[in-house]
Amino acid sequence: MKTLRAFLLLALVGGGTALHAQDVSARLAGRVSPEVAAQVQRLATAAAARGLPVDPLIQKAIEGTAKGVPADRITAAVRALAGQLDVAAAALSRAGPAHPDTDAIAAGAFALNAGLSDANVTDLARVSAPRHTEAATLRVAGTLAAMGVPATQTVELVTQVIAAGGESADVVALPAQVTAGVSHGQGVTPAQAAAGLARAAAARANAPGQQRPRPSHP
Amino acid sequence: MSGPGGTTDGQAVRAILAGDTERYGELVTRYRDRYARYAARMLGSRDAAEDAVQDAFVRAYDQLAQCRDPDNFVGWFFLILRNRCFAERRKSKEVVPLEAAGAVASAERAEVPVEADEQRRALQHALLELTAEQREVFVLKHVEGLSYSEIAERLKTSVPSLKMRMHRAYDRLREQLRDRT
Amino acid sequence: MSGNSFHPQVKQLLDGEITLADLPPALRAEGEEALHLLAAVDREPVTFPGLDTRILAELRRRADSPSFWRRLVTPREVRLRVRPWTLVPALAAALALVLVLARPAATPASSPVTVRFVLFAPDAHDVSLAGTFNQWDPAATPLLRTGTPGVWSATLILPAGQHQYAFVVDGARWVADPGAPAVDDGFGRRNSVLSL
Repeated sequence: MKTLRAFLLLALVGGGTALHAQDVSARLAGRVSPEVAAQVQRLATAAAARGLPVDPLIQKAIEGTAKGVPADRITAAVRALAGQLDVAAAALSRAGPAHPDTDAIAAGAFALNAGLSDANVTDLARVSAPRHTEAATLRVAGTLAAMGVPATQTVELVTQVIAAGGESADVVALPAQVTAGVSHGQGVTPAQAAAGLARAAAARANAPGQQRPRPSHP
Repeated sequence: MSGPGGTTDGQAVRAILAGDTERYGELVTRYRDRYARYAARMLGSRDAAEDAVQDAFVRAYDQLAQCRDPDNFVGWFFLILRNRCFAERRKSKEVVPLEAAGAVASAERAEVPVEADEQRRALQHALLELTAEQREVFVLKHVEGLSYSEIAERLKTSVPSLKMRMHRAYDRLREQLRDRT
Repeated sequence: MSGNSFHPQVKQLLDGEITLADLPPALRAEGEEALHLLAAVDREPVTFPGLDTRILAELRRRADSPSFWRRLVTPREVRLRVRPWTLVPALAAALALVLVLARPAATPASSPVTVRFVLFAPDAHDVSLAGTFNQWDPAATPLLRTGTPGVWSATLILPAGQHQYAFVVDGARWVADPGAPAVDDGFGRRNSVLSL
């Protein structure tokens, strides 16, 4: 294993940028047009240099090609996605770590795409640590927003559940609970179902005799 | 918490943040195995536990500036490792974890009678069927030997809610072990 | 399910608050079963000799590389450890994996999940599934007609994580899953989201 890692280091130091380019193009080869491949290569290299995950960009290019979208539209979408990753990375940095991990950045971009704001992303990242990962929290929040729960309610619900001492399973279960609230209620909107869950979480947190977990954010 | 020579964790952390990064080695050596067993019982695999501990130390290094109480580095490190253990979700009902647990058990204790070994593996497998939170309270109390109030302090929760979680765990373990015999 | 629940007093025994002798005779057998369970707990200490050396070597190496390369060599993005019980590439293939640029920070060994996709499309001639898990290839995963008229389905085993997908009807019409959360795909359509 140490030999393998040494090999990797040598290959990277020796190959330099060429290695990076080879690999992105290997993943795009046969799945996108040469024109799109060249554009995405440039965008991916720049994104990687900024510490952003490159995989979502590659996926988006492949998706656009599979859907028969014209090349310039694909490039525009990949560029827009890189922009969302940038915004997500900045929003996460404001919550704490100087170098947010790529999982969290990708999840943040997902949340932004689903309709949350960068301020929402920062707030969600802040309430996550240390008991929950930013990535997991943001994925759930993005999914709630994608279900039609308004941004403010999404943040409120996730925050309340975490503040009430919710475990990772409780947070992950939120989209299913909102769905259940909508299908069991009559004319209940996702927003209303989410508000109900948030109230229940707040009530649990304030129940007498229940030791409230100390908030961990500044 | 301090090591030989009397350096406290707080001193080491502050020195590292001031630029003396080599001193991170003191913290790694001091706590390398501290939560190894916790990670192994939580993940059901020694290999996965080693990866988790390694990742946690690297992450702790990256985020050292966020450690708000440098004198309690180990408590903060535990939460990072815990996060990492919880991130491994097990949804599949494959036999896989049993073999992993078995590989750990038989490689390290050849003298143990076969039946006791089987029971140990069965319990580890049953533990992996619990939720991460249930498994954790069981591991902290019955493997690591902490009291309920020590666990409550560490996880920032209440003793009653821990007991409720644990009692559900006891019932689920009983159910799992009965199914297997 | 009272058949599977331990009696509250036996739980006190398990918690160490009372002893076997404190239990009424009717509960002794259950108490012994409980103690038998606890006896099977593995408390063997676990150590990782050499791990501290490896961690420090890794951190030193990162310190020497510019931050761009740090993204590539961070241990979490490259899984070199071979595990017998997951779908494991042979070491040679693992070498190819090692050279892959910036995979998303690899999820630690997460178990795959079986998922069934269902679409009601009575007028369709063929239906397939395309998403992040099959490189958005509409030809890769056809749905099959089920016994119920108009209902198509496919069952896949997917890795844990978050996936986006859509149904492709008659090779040309991209349709989001009506029952799932939807996000803008950046091309004027919607993708469905699946979290495992």
